[in-house]
Amino acid sequence: MSERCVLGTDIGGTFTDVVLTRGDGRLHVAKQLTSPDAPEKSVLMGVERVLADAGVPASSIVRVVHGTTLATNAVIERRGARVAFVTTEGFGDLLRIGREARVEDDRYDLLFEPSPAPLAREAIFEVPERVGARGEIVRPLDETRARAVATTIAELAPQAIALCLLHAYANPSHEERMAEILAEHVPNARVVPSSRVHAEMREFDRASTTLFTAEVAPLMASYLARLGDGLAALGIDAPLQIMESSGGVMAAEVAAERAVATLESGGAAGVMAAARFASAYSLPRVISFDMGGTTAKAGVVRDGRPAVVRELHVGGRGSFGGRRAGTGMPIKTPTIDLAEVGAGGGSIAWLDPEGVLRVGPRSAGADPGPACYALGGTDPTVTDANLVLGYLSPERFAGGHLTLDPEAARRAIERAIADPLGTTVERAAWAIHEAANANMASAIHVVTVQRGLDPREHVLIAFGGAGPMHVVGVASHFGIDHVIAPPQAGVASAIGMQSTDLTAEHGRTHLVRPEALDRATARRLFDEVEAAARAKMGVAGADVAGLVVERSLDVRFVGQAHEVPIPVAGDAPGGADSARDASPDPLAGLDAVPERFRARYRQLYGVAPAGRVEYAAFRVRLRLPVDRPPLVDAAHDPDHSVVAGVLRPAFFGPDEPVGTRVLRRDEVLPGVETVGPAIVEGPVDTLVVPPDWAVASDALGSLHVRRVEVRAGASRRSRVVEPTREESA
Amino acid sequence: MPPSTPADDPLEAEILRHALRIAAEEASIVVVQSAHSAMIVEGADACAGILDREARLVTLSTATNLMHASSLRCSLPAVLADHDVEAMQPGDVFVMNDCFRGGIHANDLLVFRPVFVDGRVEWFTGTLIHVADLGGSSAGGIVPSATDVFAEGLQLPPVLLYAAGEPVRDLHRLLALNSRTPERVLGDVQALVAGVNVAAERMVDLAGRFGGERLKAGIDAYLTGAERRMRAELARLETGTYQGAYTLDGDGIDLERRPVVRVEVRVGRRPGREGEEGTIELDFSATDDQALGAINAGFSQALTGAVYAVRCFVDPTIPMNEGCFAPVEVVFRKGSLLDPNPPAACGGRVVAVTAVCEAVVEALGRARPDHATAASSVIHPYTLAAPSRLDPWLLLSYEYGGLGARRGSDGPSATGAFFLGGRNVVPQVEALEAMLPIRFECQRLLPDSGGAGRWRGGLGVETRIRVLQDAELAVRNDRVVLPPCGREGGRDGLAGEQYVIGVDGATRPLPAKAANLRLAADECFVLTTSGGGGLGPPAERDRERVLEDLAEGFVTPQAAAAVYGVELAPHATSSGGRAS
Repeated sequence: MSERCVLGTDIGGTFTDVVLTRGDGRLHVAKQLTSPDAPEKSVLMGVERVLADAGVPASSIVRVVHGTTLATNAVIERRGARVAFVTTEGFGDLLRIGREARVEDDRYDLLFEPSPAPLAREAIFEVPERVGARGEIVRPLDETRARAVATTIAELAPQAIALCLLHAYANPSHEERMAEILAEHVPNARVVPSSRVHAEMREFDRASTTLFTAEVAPLMASYLARLGDGLAALGIDAPLQIMESSGGVMAAEVAAERAVATLESGGAAGVMAAARFASAYSLPRVISFDMGGTTAKAGVVRDGRPAVVRELHVGGRGSFGGRRAGTGMPIKTPTIDLAEVGAGGGSIAWLDPEGVLRVGPRSAGADPGPACYALGGTDPTVTDANLVLGYLSPERFAGGHLTLDPEAARRAIERAIADPLGTTVERAAWAIHEAANANMASAIHVVTVQRGLDPREHVLIAFGGAGPMHVVGVASHFGIDHVIAPPQAGVASAIGMQSTDLTAEHGRTHLVRPEALDRATARRLFDEVEAAARAKMGVAGADVAGLVVERSLDVRFVGQAHEVPIPVAGDAPGGADSARDASPDPLAGLDAVPERFRARYRQLYGVAPAGRVEYAAFRVRLRLPVDRPPLVDAAHDPDHSVVAGVLRPAFFGPDEPVGTRVLRRDEVLPGVETVGPAIVEGPVDTLVVPPDWAVASDALGSLHVRRVEVRAGASRRSRVVEPTREESA
Repeated sequence: MPPSTPADDPLEAEILRHALRIAAEEASIVVVQSAHSAMIVEGADACAGILDREARLVTLSTATNLMHASSLRCSLPAVLADHDVEAMQPGDVFVMNDCFRGGIHANDLLVFRPVFVDGRVEWFTGTLIHVADLGGSSAGGIVPSATDVFAEGLQLPPVLLYAAGEPVRDLHRLLALNSRTPERVLGDVQALVAGVNVAAERMVDLAGRFGGERLKAGIDAYLTGAERRMRAELARLETGTYQGAYTLDGDGIDLERRPVVRVEVRVGRRPGREGEEGTIELDFSATDDQALGAINAGFSQALTGAVYAVRCFVDPTIPMNEGCFAPVEVVFRKGSLLDPNPPAACGGRVVAVTAVCEAVVEALGRARPDHATAASSVIHPYTLAAPSRLDPWLLLSYEYGGLGARRGSDGPSATGAFFLGGRNVVPQVEALEAMLPIRFECQRLLPDSGGAGRWRGGLGVETRIRVLQDAELAVRNDRVVLPPCGREGGRDGLAGEQYVIGVDGATRPLPAKAANLRLAADECFVLTTSGGGGLGPPAERDRERVLEDLAEGFVTPQAAAAVYGVELAPHATSSGGRAS
């Protein structure tokens, strides 16, 4: 095979992006409306388009990476599979009792509404059995009653069964046996035992994670089977990999079992793309801003690395983007820290009962879409407003695959907003644009201001189809004076996921004092955890070249419940670059773990307790680095024509339009600043440069927008940012 | 040119506010993460705050419950009275627990560290948790038999815990010797110190970032802003005088007496800087005299309940800082249940403090009927401990019951009422079993425990714990004799209960407030929490809601028929969604 090409595909609520990256870094891009009922169809159509566009055979595709919101939508809208839940006798109310925190405003609210119970009583079952905390069998599984339970469950005909027995992390034998009995009696249901999903202590967290896995797994399995078949029909037999929330990817074969690891699939891809550019430009502090058709997401990348948290909260509350620990239902899965608001191009503008203009969170999505798509939508959206304001070209939207109807946009805004408010269509459109900016600013607020970070010390990197159109307005909210729109910003998530590594992680609770842990036991435990991690990665038993194995222990003082992760090999956990498995004895650093824990503890908490140390969990993280396609998009789009130098009236305030230069992306030259107002049109995105801002490009093809006055004020910091290095592979 | 104070720059003011909040938050997380007592580490209940040198509360951790909203600000003055602030050294750390000077009770240790800016003490960071054991006549600090403070544990005036960064060994030895679990107590103390250290470090960073003077100006603006908002919100309440009262089961000693907390709330207005300012006065003078048993509340604790309850009737987004306290006038009668004279026992103060909330909510519910609620369950704490000191183990934990019904919605089940936060502070079963010789046999919602009504009270919970070794038990249950009451025709919730199931299966009743109860290995302790009261007549409840309650098992078919008059058709059992 002469050329090795990689496909990245990202499904959003409105658009599905497909990007084919060729061996030399050239990109071929397709932006498709998402078919909500059969999302794989839009992927496959996009794939066909980029293959034809590139003129390469299907056999040249060596890898397909896919980001999907399937799990997210199923969980948020509670449209997952029909599920039954089985637990130890006496604990059937475990999920209904819950352990919700009341945080922030809720603490003073006598009328607060707790989150609804995740499951109806009729779907909850108890079996007589009991395992103790050290894995000992306290009460054998009553097989007769277990079979009776299985028979009753069969009558409910669930699609999946979540199984969480007490202390199954310490001894999974009852869970495994119960799983067999259920498989026998309910052959059409997928059985999900908690010890395979999250083999760690604390039953509520484990049960919740297992429940959501069960709800999503069947949907994920059938969807990926359809997608895999479709790709095969196109002649693509390359491995299909799914983007996961932690910033890695996993094999499609294991994605059903690890469905909850895809909950922030698309969002993670955007942040990873930002991280890649942050590294390329050596920017220590970057905010990624990713605005699509339905939502906008913000994340922070410091020193090239996004922050990763250990759990997500579904339906949570509070100002941390609804992810406040202790609120909502916990899902234990590593996830890139980001905030999301329901504001995108498709977000619908409406008037609340008091006549106040609101934008989102409801989105017109792809069907019927904004009014200007002329696909039957009549509600005014942010995209309609942007068209009225002169930011969008009716003929060249989404790579020219959609022609926009400006009259339909005007009519929608007039009817729903301008007339009731007694104002002009243009003023209403301006207000919609500004309201969307304010919504999105709140997501950035969550990840910066609310965490004590000053957004002004960050560079804002814009992605997503609508990101570059709004980014400067959002930056103005905070006084951020440097914005970057990378090449093909409109499909950056699909590009970002092409350069993420294959990863898998597994942990198991096992309480042991260091002096009681002999080397052979440690090796056995790590081997077992590694085997589980390999199963999660889909490489069980295989000898995989280049696989990086990171072993760590959760360590604490005896009597504590919160642990500090200490890598066995001695580096910082999650350290990106060391192939530490190369050392002949991977456990050579084991004896030094207690000492390194004490040092780390002193550093974290400023005190040095003399207490005894114990290990609480064994963890293995696997990473298989991929060949990264080059970052440079060598190809400009020759078919994408704009009449150079044309002036279009566009609004940069509520009153009068300004004659605004419309440029093609490749007309913005490296190092030559074009002062706004200007509109820069690329094949999949449009950058809006307001007056008082100026735009220039760089060697990678990114557009840099900077505030003009700041430059005149002769720089508090160096403003020359040029690519200095590609990040290490 | 940079603005002269952060307040002049709205974004900077907001960054400062969040940075302060995060400093306190981080300190509380550090305490939780490094603490050793099972309730704290599994239940995440710690409090951290930042105060100024006048002991005004600047910010308080927000993730944990609000039981301690005023503890730090009321006890720091005692530190300042006993120790000359000008003589303090960087790295000094103070500890105290005196419940007559702002403290709570023996086991709740309050730790403070001065923060120096340009060589002068400008701020204090403070943390507090319930430590594992600090003496007294029952392990873990629940001593319902105590009739004075001396039986409740070691009392500490404000004393140096660290001097210029060095641990004061004498005091550490004293604490260890007075504890049944010396290693854990010292671990907990170290966690408290870790918390004040982290917050102090953040304050020094902030002073460096903003400049000492601008930081002060920014914080002043933060406090006065909260006060202004409080006064504006209070001005929206209907003016008038409102009464409320709540009757408790008893103090566990005098079994005939039912102590009553009474309040008169006076809502008024006066001319202020920006039009009218609301004023509010809560006069608890008519409350019963202090009790012999340990249900009295030191003044800081009673104040928490009063201010918390007022906060439930104003904009919930106002930050919890000194600005919330300034406009609220609270009067306690010295020698009453609230603000008792020494040597009253105060360990069970939460019983009286929730009564403060119930009384104020009843009174202000008349000023704002949309916020009226029925009465709620309370915290039901217990300790299980080794009977000897040879192999010490100790669990202090608790359960929550149902909340009172609200106008328009049922009361939530099994959650913390008022300032108690949610149920996230109740530890998970597996983690406790891994640490202690106990085994949970069940934890379930109790059908029919929520008070019936047009709006139903929340359900209580039944917990069964089998002890695997001989153990000593202490309980402090309330709402056992007098269940949380219903209002406006709603019925009372089901009262709580506590008993033992012996090895032979026979049950043995337990008193509601008692310590040093003996359990033999393999006996089972059963605790049920009370359900919340109902609101409005049960006959007015929507039939659909009763049917839902039946399907979910919240009410039994018998109760549905008898109380709500809803009969089930013979075959319409709860499996409505069954597939064919």
